[in-house]
Amino acid sequence: MSRSPGLRVLDALEGVRATLWPRPLAPLTPWAFLVPALLLTGLLVAALVPLADASLRQLDRATFRLDESWSLANYAAVLARPVYGVMALRTLGGALIVTAVTLLLAFPYAWLMVRTARPALRRLLLISLFLPFFIGQVVRAYGWLVVLGQQGLANSLLAALGLPPLTILYTFPGVLVGLVQYMLPFAVLMLAPALTAVPEEVELASAGLGATPLRTLWRVVLPLARPGLVAAGVVVFTLTLTDFAMPEIMGGGTNDFIASAVYDAFFQLGDPGLGGAIAILMTAVGSLAVGAVLALFGLGTLGYVEERR
Amino acid sequence: MALALSRRAVLATGTAMALAPWPRSVLAQDKPAELIVRAWGGVWVESLENGVSRPFTERTGIPVRHDLTEDNEIRPKIWAAVDQGRAPPIHVNWDTSTNATKSALRGVTEDLGDLANLADMLPAARPAGFDGVPLINMYSYVYVLAYRDEAFPDGPPDSWQIMLDPRFKGRVALYDDGIGFHPSAQIAGGGKFEDIPDNMEPAWEFIRKLKAQNPLLGEDPDFTSWFQNGEIDVACTILSNARAAKQSGIAVSWTVPKEGAKVDTDGMWIPKGLPENELFWAKEYVNFAMSQEAQQAWTSGLGLPGLRPGLTPPEDLVGDPAYPSSPEDFARLISVPTRILVEHESDWFQKFNEIMQG
Repeated sequence: MSRSPGLRVLDALEGVRATLWPRPLAPLTPWAFLVPALLLTGLLVAALVPLADASLRQLDRATFRLDESWSLANYAAVLARPVYGVMALRTLGGALIVTAVTLLLAFPYAWLMVRTARPALRRLLLISLFLPFFIGQVVRAYGWLVVLGQQGLANSLLAALGLPPLTILYTFPGVLVGLVQYMLPFAVLMLAPALTAVPEEVELASAGLGATPLRTLWRVVLPLARPGLVAAGVVVFTLTLTDFAMPEIMGGGTNDFIASAVYDAFFQLGDPGLGGAIAILMTAVGSLAVGAVLALFGLGTLGYVEERR
Repeated sequence: MALALSRRAVLATGTAMALAPWPRSVLAQDKPAELIVRAWGGVWVESLENGVSRPFTERTGIPVRHDLTEDNEIRPKIWAAVDQGRAPPIHVNWDTSTNATKSALRGVTEDLGDLANLADMLPAARPAGFDGVPLINMYSYVYVLAYRDEAFPDGPPDSWQIMLDPRFKGRVALYDDGIGFHPSAQIAGGGKFEDIPDNMEPAWEFIRKLKAQNPLLGEDPDFTSWFQNGEIDVACTILSNARAAKQSGIAVSWTVPKEGAKVDTDGMWIPKGLPENELFWAKEYVNFAMSQEAQQAWTSGLGLPGLRPGLTPPEDLVGDPAYPSSPEDFARLISVPTRILVEHESDWFQKFNEIMQG
């Protein structure tokens, strides 16, 4: 019986594969697929090396070049200036608030998107979720300026109702509003698969055994969705921790996050040594914070497979 | 007699007229596909386009592209390119004199001492403290006190102290690093000019009080949109921005307060590492920017006094102290030597940031 051309092509490809990747190497196949991702991550880590190197060299203002010799002067300068501590605390505090509020808003959204029996509603929720991705952070921030400005939509509405104007733009809460809106789609996207993995029958069984919806949520759905919550929390927290545009645009210049300090050091002050020191310190603080979250709450969706076993 | 002119003859005559300022030997140089000139956006790039770049292209046939990367952001890119022996990302950098001096100290700028039109410029066009001419200052500008007309029905404010008036809480704006404001704050805070840079405490005290006013901090385009959207009533900004806002119909005026206002200069420089022909035409561009014709059109568009004698001030700025044209005008302003700015301005930025972010 003659084989079809398609099968012959597949056979040929199989032959090539067997030559390039012999069967004894088969156990290594999963690792081979990891190589590109590991290379990319490796590049990111490698980029920290010159940054760390620069952080150990002080700027010579006679030549505007970094010193040849190493010192901890830049780290000492960062630690000696309270403003960096203030900005770091503002960033960490802001990231925590944004993470909490975003998860609170994302959870019902994701749950409804996963559970709804109406395809039209699911489509609407999905479109609403993906639309902001096509707009971009800077444009969205400027959108907020239009909405929340002195003569913006919100204040026009309040004025029409005879209410005093709202002053939220160019304040810390204003920055948080912008960040929550920016992070919401990320959190929903991280939560949805975790909620999909929670069988609806479990919720029905809980209700059948007399649990109220709130009790079912608290005792059944949330624990089962924990991997998604942890993953979404980590992603939102780290993205907020390093965000630059939203605090810059919506903060009015006096509510900067630490990323602005890094930018200012590199570009405004022209001091890559100082910028490197702030960046390294912030990377360390962020990594420790995420490490603590993972240690406390598990590996999120990575740990989910382990738990199901 | 009928005059018969062929299309070719008209084009040839036109081209010859357009190229008139450049001798044949100059035009014989290999022309680059384009020249890239870094510029600021808004009224700044419009003025450069109308006053320098377009006429330059008309005469040489070389298109000029404006790169609107911020001056602070292009600097490390140029420095890295020169250090690594790569071609720099731009041909001409239109820059603040302070930043340009930093690049000159780093040794990444070409010498411009051989440009013919430099001889016709005022002495202030040449940077002090260098053997050669690593940059050329092109014009002066003043950081004025700009205000919304509606907020001052009884006439313009006469002091920087107005920024501390509780009426203007949340309605004051400065540059995000305080550039242009530190020396004015020093005087407004009761300090002396002579104490700059050794004792700037009066400036920091004034800025601390200003912090309590919840000021907005931004860049050139922010001031225009803030005035336009009714977000602010007073600001310390460069005259060109206030004037552009006024010309676009926003009810904004400006003044030089009794304490004075900081005057500074911008310049042009060429990074090292360009191919020979590109360097040649980049120099021709800078040389043309110093010509009477280009200086008149460019600086009139900006509303700033060029550093070439004999320029006619724009009608709306004649007699305006923010458009200094005589020694008496300059005496009212606060001029900090570039050497001090190069050495200390970064510290002032940090201190300003420390107060505003605290």
